[in-house]
Amino acid sequence: MKAFGKYISKYLLSFFVFALILLLVNILAFALTFGGIVSREYGSASPANMLEAVADDLSASCISEERLQELNRNQIWAMLLDAGGRCIWEVSLPEEIPTQYTIQDVAVFSKGYLQDYPVFVRNIDNGLLVLGYPKDSFMKLTGNYFPIRAIRIFPLFVTGILTIDILLLFLVYYFSKRKIAKNTEPIMASIKTLSTGRPVDLSIRGELSEIADSVNQASQVLSRQNQARANWISGVSHDIRTPLSMIMGYAQRIAKDHGAGGNIQQEAEIIRAQSAKIKDLVQDLNLVSQLEYEMQPLYKEPVRLSKLLRSYAADLLNAGIDPKYSVETEILPSAETVVIECDARLISRAINNLVQNSIQHNPQGCDIFLSLDCLQADISITVADNGVGLSAEKLRELEEKPHYMESTDERLDLRHGLGLLLVRQIVEAHGGIMKIANGTCCGIEIVLIFTKETA
Amino acid sequence: MEHSFLHSKKLLLVDDEPELLKMVSAILADEGFQRLVTAANMREGIAAVKAEKPDLAILDVMLPDGDGFSLMEQMRAWTDIPVIFLTARDEAADKLAGLGLGADDYIAKPFLPQEFLLRIYAVLRRCYKEDTTVLKLDSCTVDFSRAEVNKGGEILPLTAMEHRLLETLAKNEGRIVTVDTLCEALWGDNPFGYENSLNAHVRRVREKIEAEPSKPVSLLTVKGLGYKLLARK
Repeated sequence: MKAFGKYISKYLLSFFVFALILLLVNILAFALTFGGIVSREYGSASPANMLEAVADDLSASCISEERLQELNRNQIWAMLLDAGGRCIWEVSLPEEIPTQYTIQDVAVFSKGYLQDYPVFVRNIDNGLLVLGYPKDSFMKLTGNYFPIRAIRIFPLFVTGILTIDILLLFLVYYFSKRKIAKNTEPIMASIKTLSTGRPVDLSIRGELSEIADSVNQASQVLSRQNQARANWISGVSHDIRTPLSMIMGYAQRIAKDHGAGGNIQQEAEIIRAQSAKIKDLVQDLNLVSQLEYEMQPLYKEPVRLSKLLRSYAADLLNAGIDPKYSVETEILPSAETVVIECDARLISRAINNLVQNSIQHNPQGCDIFLSLDCLQADISITVADNGVGLSAEKLRELEEKPHYMESTDERLDLRHGLGLLLVRQIVEAHGGIMKIANGTCCGIEIVLIFTKETA
Repeated sequence: MEHSFLHSKKLLLVDDEPELLKMVSAILADEGFQRLVTAANMREGIAAVKAEKPDLAILDVMLPDGDGFSLMEQMRAWTDIPVIFLTARDEAADKLAGLGLGADDYIAKPFLPQEFLLRIYAVLRRCYKEDTTVLKLDSCTVDFSRAEVNKGGEILPLTAMEHRLLETLAKNEGRIVTVDTLCEALWGDNPFGYENSLNAHVRRVREKIEAEPSKPVSLLTVKGLGYKLLARK
């Protein structure tokens, strides 16, 4: 999402920069086009230079041959008027140009044209020097005066208008960015949700509604697939249950039948024990898939955890546990009356999975400790044993590697069952966390931590 | 554990799998239950409840002509015998918990025979008292109908609380009963903070039933959990 915002900024910013570059290019193009013409006109044949050169020549009483050639080359005519307005000297003066002028005539042409010839004048000692350039070679601004105030505020005006332009450009950039972000934010959020596998329902009107529809469709496809997978698992596990009940029932009968003979009894006991493993797997598998796709409704009610833990431990002991194992329960006084909202059946299931894990991994027998503690808002259920424990490597693997149910890795490791994954899912469904560590002296210690508010 | 008085109870099994019925019947027969009635569907089940008047019904949730839940509802019209559901789905168990249909227990398939028997005994024991109201302990006998303890000829009367405490323990003879269950039996729902009173009652009961109250052999403390009553072997 952040990356997308950055992407938009970058994109809009590039527009902004592009606009500036365009402006500079325009200025450059302007300079290149007009630079040549203007500089040429300001060369030696420019009115100012020419006036000065001719004036210098005239004050030296005679105009040079070289100057005359230059005037002819540029098709410039020249005349000198005395104080009475009479032409006392001329070079290539066209016929239609009069040789006598009144003071009004001089005032009019000195600003502009004489018979459509753009003319330029210069005051010299012997009179008024007039240079006439070819027709249509210069345009003269006859009304070229500006109020001084206007000239004075001109620099301020230019800087001001440029500042405002840049500001406006920036505002356009800012609001465009905000609008794009606002329109795309829900889409980005939905895609992010989708990427975690959860369903979304996006409703957007306007130009982007088509994208919203596609996202919704993708979500539906995902949901349907998840549903189909959960249903499939549920169906298979359902169909396995009844046959498995019979296998376990008969295996146990044979195991107890003294007429069957020792060997057969032992083998039946193995069938029974292995069937029990399949039973656990089937039960866990279904619940895991239901929790995974959030299809398992939680029946939350206020539960006194101390009571739940004692009741679980009593049931475990009453069901008859191998004397190799001992179960000790400790409920700290601070946790005795703690009540949290939870699904009691699932919490018992989680505790049972941990206890059964301890039993399975310690065939030589071990002591199992159940305890309940409450520290401020944290309520922790600890299941620990003093058995073989875990190697540091295995511990890291448990914490880091995704469970095969959640991974698409080919190297599935089915030996570890679903026990811990289910515990983690149950705890997470209650907003809690699970911590696995090696016990203080030996064995393993698993702590389920719930919070009073979230649980 | 003393179960024999429960073996005279008549059990009704309703399941559409004849093989499963056969196996469950065999397990129950092995255990000593002599009076078993089976039915393969809802119709037969209702007929059997009417005709045979069983003491406990074990119903499969999925039946060919309906489901176990509606069978139970129909049964409830004329009998309130305990009901245990056999379910092949986890959801069914949730439904039971969620709807609070008033079933006594449910057993999820697949089940281990001993687990199955344990649940049946637990429900039967909860619902039916032993015909003989006299419990033999290591150093005395307890007569529940007269609320008396006979300790070597000496007759000691039981208070109402002591009677209820002993009775709750006796119903679960040989099994751990948690302090929570005992407090609930003595003081009803939400019995928070009655643990000390419970200890006091236990101490007085021990004085009446134990030869040496400081070294109990019949009413044992299970550390951290509750108490356990052991009958005379």
